[in-house]
Amino acid sequence: MFLSTSWGLWRSTFITLKTLSRLAPVRRLCIPTDAVCDAGTIFALSSGHGRCGVAVVRISGPASSLVLRNMAGLTQTLPPPRTALLRKITDPHTKELLDRGLVFWFPGPHSFTGEDSAEFHVHGGPAVITAVLQGLGSLKGVRPAEAGEFTRRAFHAGKLGLTEVEGLGDLIHAETEAQRRQALRQMDGELERLYKDWSSRLKRCLAHVEAFIDFSEDELIEEGVLNQVDRSVQRLQTEIENHLRDKRRGERLRSGVQVVITGVTNAGKSSLLNTLCQRPAAIVSPIAGTTRDVVETSLDIGGFPVLLSDTAGLRDGLDSVEKEGVRRARERVEQSDLTLVVVDSTQLPPDPQQVPAFLQGYLDSVLPKPSRGHPEEGTEAAADSVLLVLNKSDLVPEVQKERTERELRESLGLPPACFLSCHTTTGLGDFLTLLQSRVKTLCGDPLSGAPSLTQARHRAHLQQSVQALSLYHQYKNQDLALAAEGVRLALTHIGRITGRIWAEDILDIIFRDFCIGK
Amino acid sequence: MLVRKLPLVRQNLLWTVWSRAESAPARRRYDVIVVGGGHAGTEAAAAAARVGAETLLITQKIATIGVLSCNPSLGGVGKGHLVREIDALDGLCGRAGDWAGVHFSILNRSKGPAVWGPRAQLDRDQYRQFIQSELLSTPRLTVLEGSVEELLVSQSNPNEPGHHRVTGICLVNETHPILSSSVVLTTGTFLSGSLFMGQTTTPGGRIGDAPSCSGLSHTLKETLGLRVGRLKTGTPPRIVKSSVDLSLVQVQSPDQQPTPFSFLNTQTRCKPEDQLPCYLTQTTPGVERVVRESLHLNCHVQQDSKGPRYCPSIESRVLRFPGRQHQVWLEPEGLTSDLLYPQGLSMTMPPDLQLRLLREIPALHRAEIRTPGYGVHYDFVCPTQLNPSLQVKSTQGLFLAGQINGTTGYEEAAAQGLWAGVNAARAALYMPPVVLSRTQSYIGVLIDDLVGRGVTEPYRMFTSRAEFRTSLRPDNADIRLTPRGFEEVGCVTLQRYKEAVRTRDGLQEGLAALKEVKMSSSRWREKLGNISLSESKSSTMNGLDLLQYKDVSFEMLAAIFPEQLSPYLQFSQRLNIEAVYRPHCEKQSREIGRILEEESLSLPSDLDYLSLPVSLSNEVRELLDRVRPNTLGAATRIPGMTPAAIIHLLYYVLRMKQRNKHTEHRNQLGQKEGSEIQLCANHIPISQ
Repeated sequence: MFLSTSWGLWRSTFITLKTLSRLAPVRRLCIPTDAVCDAGTIFALSSGHGRCGVAVVRISGPASSLVLRNMAGLTQTLPPPRTALLRKITDPHTKELLDRGLVFWFPGPHSFTGEDSAEFHVHGGPAVITAVLQGLGSLKGVRPAEAGEFTRRAFHAGKLGLTEVEGLGDLIHAETEAQRRQALRQMDGELERLYKDWSSRLKRCLAHVEAFIDFSEDELIEEGVLNQVDRSVQRLQTEIENHLRDKRRGERLRSGVQVVITGVTNAGKSSLLNTLCQRPAAIVSPIAGTTRDVVETSLDIGGFPVLLSDTAGLRDGLDSVEKEGVRRARERVEQSDLTLVVVDSTQLPPDPQQVPAFLQGYLDSVLPKPSRGHPEEGTEAAADSVLLVLNKSDLVPEVQKERTERELRESLGLPPACFLSCHTTTGLGDFLTLLQSRVKTLCGDPLSGAPSLTQARHRAHLQQSVQALSLYHQYKNQDLALAAEGVRLALTHIGRITGRIWAEDILDIIFRDFCIGK
Repeated sequence: MLVRKLPLVRQNLLWTVWSRAESAPARRRYDVIVVGGGHAGTEAAAAAARVGAETLLITQKIATIGVLSCNPSLGGVGKGHLVREIDALDGLCGRAGDWAGVHFSILNRSKGPAVWGPRAQLDRDQYRQFIQSELLSTPRLTVLEGSVEELLVSQSNPNEPGHHRVTGICLVNETHPILSSSVVLTTGTFLSGSLFMGQTTTPGGRIGDAPSCSGLSHTLKETLGLRVGRLKTGTPPRIVKSSVDLSLVQVQSPDQQPTPFSFLNTQTRCKPEDQLPCYLTQTTPGVERVVRESLHLNCHVQQDSKGPRYCPSIESRVLRFPGRQHQVWLEPEGLTSDLLYPQGLSMTMPPDLQLRLLREIPALHRAEIRTPGYGVHYDFVCPTQLNPSLQVKSTQGLFLAGQINGTTGYEEAAAQGLWAGVNAARAALYMPPVVLSRTQSYIGVLIDDLVGRGVTEPYRMFTSRAEFRTSLRPDNADIRLTPRGFEEVGCVTLQRYKEAVRTRDGLQEGLAALKEVKMSSSRWREKLGNISLSESKSSTMNGLDLLQYKDVSFEMLAAIFPEQLSPYLQFSQRLNIEAVYRPHCEKQSREIGRILEEESLSLPSDLDYLSLPVSLSNEVRELLDRVRPNTLGAATRIPGMTPAAIIHLLYYVLRMKQRNKHTEHRNQLGQKEGSEIQLCANHIPISQ
């Protein structure tokens, strides 16, 4: 079962089993199994990240058969051991089809980890992988694997020979601290700040509870400290819960990013659609108002599903059909995740300095007013979800194009703009890069560096953190030691994302915040 | 050197024929020599003798054995946990506290049994007398007055790790050495100690006692090459009680029913009504003024070595938190003592200024000082140079315990003393070392923190240092430690062991019985009266479920089911606690299991990390070389350690293991396998 294509993070989990004689010394080292009884069921993307043909998701632990029942439709009987079976893989709760793929069942002890295990071999697109991982994570008793956990289990089950252990270094290294730091770096700055902020606030909460426990009898630490902690914990819990509830990114991944092409008539919107999907999906003609209804097509952009819609050109329509087309076009734009505003570059003002003002006016006329729907979002949010496409660039002199581009780079407040000729495809590469990065951001970029795996794990830790905080509320009036345990657990889970917190860190805060003298 | 038989202080004490205090050692060779008669030394000597070693305790003055050098109290939050654990391993201080206590209280009573802090104010004389009579009646233990000139060291035993081997000690003014297999050093603040008061500095570790010989310090640093650091601490002036205006202080009463420290005692010697109160008062702006005005006359404060953050002198308190009132506790020193101990007023300024400072506090405006406060600077040995058995890694047979390892506090010292004594005796008797896991005890947390992470300031125990605080409670220390102390370690008497086993079985049966008593929640509501149960009307609840409610106690349930539950009424408080904590302890079992696994893989202590043929970064190599963790578990807790390095170490250990096995096999010497892998504490499932 050596899989050469999976030469990624989890490669050493695909190690051939050695003969039993080699396992003898390992076996003797194992602590009696009752010490590790409630180990739970874990899963992870076992193949490498980045685009690949087949992705392997591995599951290990007592609930593995449950996973097969719930996600591979094997409700009646489990498949024969170690045999490939083509199944529909569905979401365990909604039963929505996620992919068709190969399913394997490895009953313990004849598996890599010695436990019941299963594998899904699915298509390697990030949307599919993320959907499968999210589905697994939503099952009770099933959680993302911790760093090197498959290997550790295999090791403790006496399933791993010595030479295999040698190869683990890289794996663990990539999977843990280094990766955590890397993942933090790759997270957009806002998210990193958010997690770090939660962590430091939780740390303070814990320090204050601990101060109250360890010092309040002899020091002037009053119950007021606990009231503050109550409020902070409550706030943190709400914030994390709200954060977890924001599932839009996951949904986009599953159903596709809504990208809408809009602009005035005859700007080349349908040509853009055809260029992007590389077939004449929409009729194009020099006659203004050729497209009257919405034309939809599905695309794969950089591995992400995109639903691209071409809409009627915006003008005060002449007949009722066209009026309806324009209404639909405007409606689509309001619902879209990303809007491509197409401009006929031959219509740009000849003086490059006037271009930004012109484009701003153009956007204002084409896009719905931000103040109406989402007052808080404003123009910055609009700039995030809009790309300006300056079409027909082949008809503009090169010099003017360059000067205009320079002007646009320096102007603030405008969405990114890109010269493109659908006719000659000049500038298509740059445009696609820009488009892909936008789509990636919208989908939560599950595969940058350390993929959706990281994300799923973060999510799991945040969920566990919220659960632990509810322990605090449950016990705060009954048993402060157990209440503190809740905050401590919450901090441990957040610490898995932002870095481990030691007892000394807590004591440092205590001594900084309180005058303690006994 | 004088021989002193101590007066019998307890009628029920058997004055055995083995007890002795000697002017000259009866023999020239012992299994274990303990140097120092403080909290660490006395526990070490008693523990070593209990384990079965011929033990010699050497102290400068027999009269100062068991002296409380600083505060007249024992226990508290975290510290009380240690006392309970020491008692569970048959140590002295818990019983001594019950004997000498004059004011008992459980701190944190409102905050959950896991963090209850049993504490007592002590009568200094009675505490000392108890410890002395206990030691002098301990079989196999000899007490000798003397001053150690130097440590005798020879070539190490090549079959074991270490560069040196300790062979005994040499006394001042003695030509003949006293030989031993193990030596436990518990020199407290006497290692290169110097006393500070105002601008005067004198060598010594405690006021009124002669300084220790510098030879010991020299041996540790120069001969053994141990890294030492310097710490400071201090003690307040003692105040004449009659000079205090007690109408201006707040009275702090003890618990009405004193709770003994020891699992063997059902009551304390002091009757509830005879207990003495403590008094509480506050500092004034005048105190701060005196501190500031006297700074130039205060050498101790100007030193930059580290003092304890949680027991700071009044000088550092007002300097760090100016403009505030600070609490001052006035604590009794004993039933017959005419002194009060002002907790929180440790100071090192000249005596006349100390008096001025005290008199800035209203209740102390006429106060008289009996002995002034002073500061101490002393050397400590960086404890990362020790094994978890508290043996110096580089020196076979040399054990350190107490302040010499950078800790502060009686309880911390006593805990280390006990464990060092146990292991010193085991080493001398050719038994393998024993290790306490941090998953199992506060003593384990203490030792693991010390040897694994070292200290930057005097180390004190807090409950927040124990990850498994909800499992490591003061109430269950006996179940956690006593069976192992008897079965494996050998430091517990049969009587205590039987009592612990009886308790453990009783609790298990009691819990099982609770599980068996079931009724619908409406029936429970009927029987119990005004209890709001959240379960729906029809659902069945058992006794364990009921005990989750704050208002329900075991006694109430026993009244409903007398037949099933009344046999366990003697355990009712502990059953109440077990029922609430059990679900949480079970949740922790996975994490505990993981840690125990990692701790069961030991790393050879002579491993040359700098040239180890495995892939490790230079950073990690240096880290490992400095800390030299004993087990893989300890390695994972080193700050800065990477998981990759852990896996490489794991690999290395396994490879070595296999190689050793091959060699053994070839040599047909397969009898003693697995010595390198030392199975960790057989974790006692608390919740079965």
